[in-house]
Amino acid sequence: MLYRNLIMAGYFGLLCALGQRPCTAAAEPIEDIQLELSPHVCTLASNEKQCEALVHAQWRSPRSESLCLIIVDRPDVKHCWEHYAQGTYSLEVTFNDDLIFQLRDPQLQHVLATAALRVIREAIRLRHRRKDPWNVFN
Amino acid sequence: MRAIFMKCGVAIFAVLAQVAMPCMAEDCKSPTGDCVAVGKWNFSLALGAGLRTNPLDDAKNIPLVVIPQFNYYGKRFFIDNLDLGVTLAENNANTLNLIASPSYDRVYFVRGDLQNFIVPGGVGTNSAATPALARVFSSGAVQLRPPHPHISYLVGPEWTFTAHSVSGQLDLLREVTGQYGGDEIRAAVQFPFSGSPNSLNASIGVTWKSAALVNYYYGAGSFYSPGSALNPFVKLGYTRPLAGKWSFTAFAHYEHLGSAIARSPYIVRPQVVTFFAGFLYTH
Repeated sequence: MLYRNLIMAGYFGLLCALGQRPCTAAAEPIEDIQLELSPHVCTLASNEKQCEALVHAQWRSPRSESLCLIIVDRPDVKHCWEHYAQGTYSLEVTFNDDLIFQLRDPQLQHVLATAALRVIREAIRLRHRRKDPWNVFN
Repeated sequence: MRAIFMKCGVAIFAVLAQVAMPCMAEDCKSPTGDCVAVGKWNFSLALGAGLRTNPLDDAKNIPLVVIPQFNYYGKRFFIDNLDLGVTLAENNANTLNLIASPSYDRVYFVRGDLQNFIVPGGVGTNSAATPALARVFSSGAVQLRPPHPHISYLVGPEWTFTAHSVSGQLDLLREVTGQYGGDEIRAAVQFPFSGSPNSLNASIGVTWKSAALVNYYYGAGSFYSPGSALNPFVKLGYTRPLAGKWSFTAFAHYEHLGSAIARSPYIVRPQVVTFFAGFLYTH
């Protein structure tokens, strides 16, 4: 076990020396960043079409981070922190499908943590609406 | 001409039915956009300001203030405002319906027609102001009285499709309520310019009306016996979601009347322009 730990320390040390990984976080896997949502589920009755919720997103990390919170396919939502080890953000959202919250690096290139706000519907049968471009109001 | 249209239409729909039959639609995951819940009524009410020009002689333009819309979808059957239909076959891109739809031209002549309160498309969707429809020919002495047409329904197959976000519609309809036995073809395509959440789209289309239909509404006995007519239209529509069940909606629609209709002694303007802007509440 000691032998294995020494090998891992040497490996991260080498990455640090080569500039491939931040030296201060060399021993911390990036998965250590925790992102939690409250609520994390929205239930819809059969007569409801969409969820409206005040969502609290909370994250924490064992080290100082610079990162941004976004919602996939919602380019209007973006909140960033610089050199924080935790953060909270609250926002009102209206949605009808699962929302995927992500923490990313400030350039939004790498996903650091992900959490989903799920939509659960009462079982309803759906079908396609008639397409009617001839109708003046469609 | 009429026979060719109908034969071609039947052939097209027969091929489409074979293509569409094996695969039923399965991609609806939420009751929004193109998908609706089966077995539920849907209502919406638009409140705003708009206007439709009236091509009839002496008729006033029609203000648009309240526009109700409703629909119901069963497993196959549907009600879409004043249209009834049965879905015969469907896949993710194509739908083949059998529909019954009212002839819109009646609204020119009957102020109380339901279509003067529920705004669909096509020629004759103007709210008629029951003017003193008459014209004295330049030779003098002859005053024409407009018809007072009965409610009539057209029945036939409808093909709708979606390809690369462009949606299209083709209806081949025949009058079946024993008034004139005419035919009508409705065709339109809609192009989206922007998607969710704001929606901006443009549509172009045509309505072809057989001589029997045109003559029933716009003919004047021995004075005017028109042939078939082809009415092209263009439309621009915009929708922006607001809070809750409200959204902002606006559209502008221009339709040019075919020469057989435009030359009718009852018609003084060869076009119909409709525009509306307001707030839409969807229940």
